[in-house]
Amino acid sequence: MAAGLLMIAGGTAAGIFGSLLGLGGGILIVPLLTLGFGLPLREAVGVSLVSVIATSGASAGVYLQRHMANLRLGMTLELFTALGALVGALVAFLIPDRALAGLFAALLLYVAVTMIRSGLRRGARDDGLAADAPAADLENTDPPGTLDRLSGPDYRVRNLGPAVGGSLFAGVVSALLGVGGGIVKVPVMHLVMGVPLRVAAATSNLMIGVTASASAIIYLLRGEIDPLVAGPTVLGVFVGATIGSRSAHRVDVRVLRLLFVVVLFYTAWQMIERALR
Amino acid sequence: MISDPTNRAAGPSLDLERRVANVLIGATYLSLGLIGLGVLLMIAGGVSPLDQALAFDPGRFVDDILAGRPEGVLWLGLVAVIGTPTVRVTASLISYLRDGERPMVLVAAGILGVIAASVLLATGLGG
Repeated sequence: MAAGLLMIAGGTAAGIFGSLLGLGGGILIVPLLTLGFGLPLREAVGVSLVSVIATSGASAGVYLQRHMANLRLGMTLELFTALGALVGALVAFLIPDRALAGLFAALLLYVAVTMIRSGLRRGARDDGLAADAPAADLENTDPPGTLDRLSGPDYRVRNLGPAVGGSLFAGVVSALLGVGGGIVKVPVMHLVMGVPLRVAAATSNLMIGVTASASAIIYLLRGEIDPLVAGPTVLGVFVGATIGSRSAHRVDVRVLRLLFVVVLFYTAWQMIERALR
Repeated sequence: MISDPTNRAAGPSLDLERRVANVLIGATYLSLGLIGLGVLLMIAGGVSPLDQALAFDPGRFVDDILAGRPEGVLWLGLVAVIGTPTVRVTASLISYLRDGERPMVLVAAGILGVIAASVLLATGLGG
């Protein structure tokens, strides 16, 4: 049972890290299960998808209760993230494990570089995230009624067309690599649609459940989810995410961010080795 | 000045969000409770995650649970986790139907359609 306790502990660590850094646990669970426990990549992705559904469920509920998430906008976009996830999950069964490992390494490197750049920008400006950055001014062809319905009380969304494309892409990434896809959805809503950052993050969290479940169903029914691995891991990630969200204000995230970037680069290197093997 | 497009439906909208939130939180904790129980059964039975698990078979849930096999409870919990977002969308669909919000009814029905397509495609591919 030592392996089970290690999985719970590893899942808890992934949940704490992910929650403190706002990344979700998915990005760490796949490397943990593949590199740490020798699971095939597709099985690890399946378990990771279940973990992100569980962690997003409770927090999305709280965001809705506090009216931080935009339900109409989230549901409209998740129609397309779910479609992307359906396609992504089918593609995942067609491409070899080594290609998936290469894609995962690319994702890890992208996240590491993004974290370094945002850290540098924050250091230069020292004003936190650009919470109210204006949306890119793309040519707008959306009918006004649709946008009104999707807007919030103090902001108006725009550029629905490009956001639909971004949502499809986020769904494919989520299904292929077992992550929540917030790394795509949040920038799309915030920078392209003009949704305030906090609302975008909360709405992305709400969307993770449907996005991941559209592909998790395929992994489940194709026998790629092992209940004996998924049980301890999901439980650990959920506990970790709960601890992380409650202690976020007490932790110096700068040190954690630095440590995390090192972990990401190391994990990316391991994944590249796996892809080239 | 931005007009408030949600004012018209602010009351029903807030009610809807509260209802959907309750469904989401309740279903998540219920499914995690089942998974927690399954993990306890694993520990009690000395079952390792590296052991060979029984394959997913919906027809065996009850038998596995009655026999105290951890896989039965774990499968039930995992299916409940994966099904929770669908329950949330269904609850939204019912509320939007009740409120007469036709565009959102179509969106919710579309999402359920994609999830149904996932099941059908996975079953077809598996077979």
